Amino acid sequence: MDRLLTLSKNLNRFVSLVGKIGAWSIIGLIIVIMLDVTLRRWFVIGSTKLQELEWHLHGTLFLMCLGWAYLKNAHVRIELVSERMTARSRAWVELTGILVFLIPYVIAIIAFGFDYVDFSYRYDEGSASPTGLPNRWIIKSIIVFGFIVLGIAAISRLFECIVYLFGTSEQKLQTSLILPSDKIADNMNKDRAKSGTAQERAL
Amino acid sequence: MIETLIDILPLLMFMVLIPLLFSGYPVAFVLGGVGLVFWLLAVGLGIENPNSFFLVVSRIFGGVVNKLVLVAIPMFIFMGTMLEKSGVARDLLNTLQIMTRRVPGGLALSVTMLGVVLAATTGIIGASVVMMTLLALPVMLERGYDTPLATGTIAASGTLGILLPPSIMLVVMADLLSTSAGTLFLAAIGPGLFLVALYFLYIFITTWRNPERAPALNSSGDASENLSIGLIVKSFLPPLILILMVLGSIFGGVTTPTEASGVGAFGALILALANRKLSFKTLNDVIEQSALTTTMLFGLFVGATAFSYVFALLGGHDIILDIIASTGADAWSVLIVLMIAVFLLGFFFDWIEITLIILPVFAPVIAALDFGTHVENSDLMIAWFATLMAVNLQTSFLTPPFGFALFYMKGAASKSVKLGQIYKGIIPFVLLQAFCLAILMAWPKLALWLPSYMGH
Repeated sequence: MDRLLTLSKNLNRFVSLVGKIGAWSIIGLIIVIMLDVTLRRWFVIGSTKLQELEWHLHGTLFLMCLGWAYLKNAHVRIELVSERMTARSRAWVELTGILVFLIPYVIAIIAFGFDYVDFSYRYDEGSASPTGLPNRWIIKSIIVFGFIVLGIAAISRLFECIVYLFGTSEQKLQTSLILPSDKIADNMNKDRAKSGTAQERAL
Repeated sequence: MIETLIDILPLLMFMVLIPLLFSGYPVAFVLGGVGLVFWLLAVGLGIENPNSFFLVVSRIFGGVVNKLVLVAIPMFIFMGTMLEKSGVARDLLNTLQIMTRRVPGGLALSVTMLGVVLAATTGIIGASVVMMTLLALPVMLERGYDTPLATGTIAASGTLGILLPPSIMLVVMADLLSTSAGTLFLAAIGPGLFLVALYFLYIFITTWRNPERAPALNSSGDASENLSIGLIVKSFLPPLILILMVLGSIFGGVTTPTEASGVGAFGALILALANRKLSFKTLNDVIEQSALTTTMLFGLFVGATAFSYVFALLGGHDIILDIIASTGADAWSVLIVLMIAVFLLGFFFDWIEITLIILPVFAPVIAALDFGTHVENSDLMIAWFATLMAVNLQTSFLTPPFGFALFYMKGAASKSVKLGQIYKGIIPFVLLQAFCLAILMAWPKLALWLPSYMGH
């Protein structure tokens, strides 16, 4: 159990690192858009390359953060029923969800994604526009990479669920398995303290 | 037996999906998982090629990653999150309070006005509601406002951002319904402002008839709080410039929504810098928060793409069309049933789930609806429909038990505010929204005159 816990902590660290790096593509995105607008408006230079770079950065942003967002509990949940469940049954739901939905889904996307990237690479696929960016396989492989990281996050969460369900109460406390509503309650308190930061949910 | 199973497979997808959504497991992954399970089932039954999941991946790339218009979403999210830190809202509410202090219900009216300005700049509901609850609710309660009136006003005004441009929801809808985000932005202005007018009227009439529910400040007040032109300019100018930059450039046809969103994000950054609210830590917080919000939305987008693509592969769209054709329902009944369904779904789900799951399924049905001369310019029928959806979906934030605005408000309000009071306070506003929806149905011009006038 302790080993699972250590392993899960290390995996979490990796997934968070990837997410935090991905998050900074927001700044890249702002810069590229400003550059694109300025060039077009004042220098009348339209650039397909810059526009394509915009969605490349946007894709990188959310694909690299998929796993991190799962660990941070940022993905939407319908908690109408689950908030009345005990923490233990919620951990069971989490475990079942990971095994039945998340891991098969991640494996399917990765497996078919490899073919997809391979196809694009072999045919040297580029932009449909002659002035666009070449090498479509790069952004396409980020889809696969994002799902690999999401898979790692899923495995890490799975270990935590196992520790939570079958470990000693001391080990249990060491899991970062903060269940959805606790997490939101926690956020709320933090928000009140900081007099209101943006919510991760409810756009 | 097997033939029947094959026929009803797409419907079965929904029947399996709905109870699973209530398990509390992330919706994005449940959608992806259910999509995969049904695809495997179809492969097992021999009606689907074992390689066709490849198409799901290509759909994720083509439909979610390679879409320039969707790039506007992280930018608007960043803009909203950054603005929240810039202290612009606090200054604005302060000025509005001073301006309206002698009017009965003045604070409630200020909150509604602040809601409009926030909606036109950020459009992030959670942020607006929490911010206004923290800034305005204590003052309102201290002043002796009736609690349900105070909470209802804040929740309803805080959710205007979903409707008033630039709205993230309208960008998503534009993409799903294959129409222009700029047109939808224009179409939402009329109904949005009409709704604001209804809120104003309601607050005004209620407080006029029962002044004790919203007492005005009667003493001469604090001398230091005197209104000056300088104060008004200082607090109104920054958000107005930002609104003008973003919306002005979209409507003026100078830039696309994506470009305008980038300019807005940059503007918010500069504003925070000018107000000396930007440290590296704040920037990092804003970036991380925006990235997580964006990922929440797009994770769901990807999952919904997998689900709805498998649904389409299994012939789901034809089944829906057949069912509707077999009931012989005309365009109006379809529209009304759809609107009622969306309203009811709003009690349990949020706009994100409703839009991403329902719209792809019904998009072909919607595109085929024919309202004859009711919608003068038939090119704008989709814009009218999207606006109806938008007004309707605003209620999804407000209707208990699962209204996100109410939930966030409860979290940010002091303990003395009871959930029951929040629920009670929202009723009149939800009724006003239903009224606005009915007017918009009967009179499409409310939404469409502006895009027609601007030549969209």
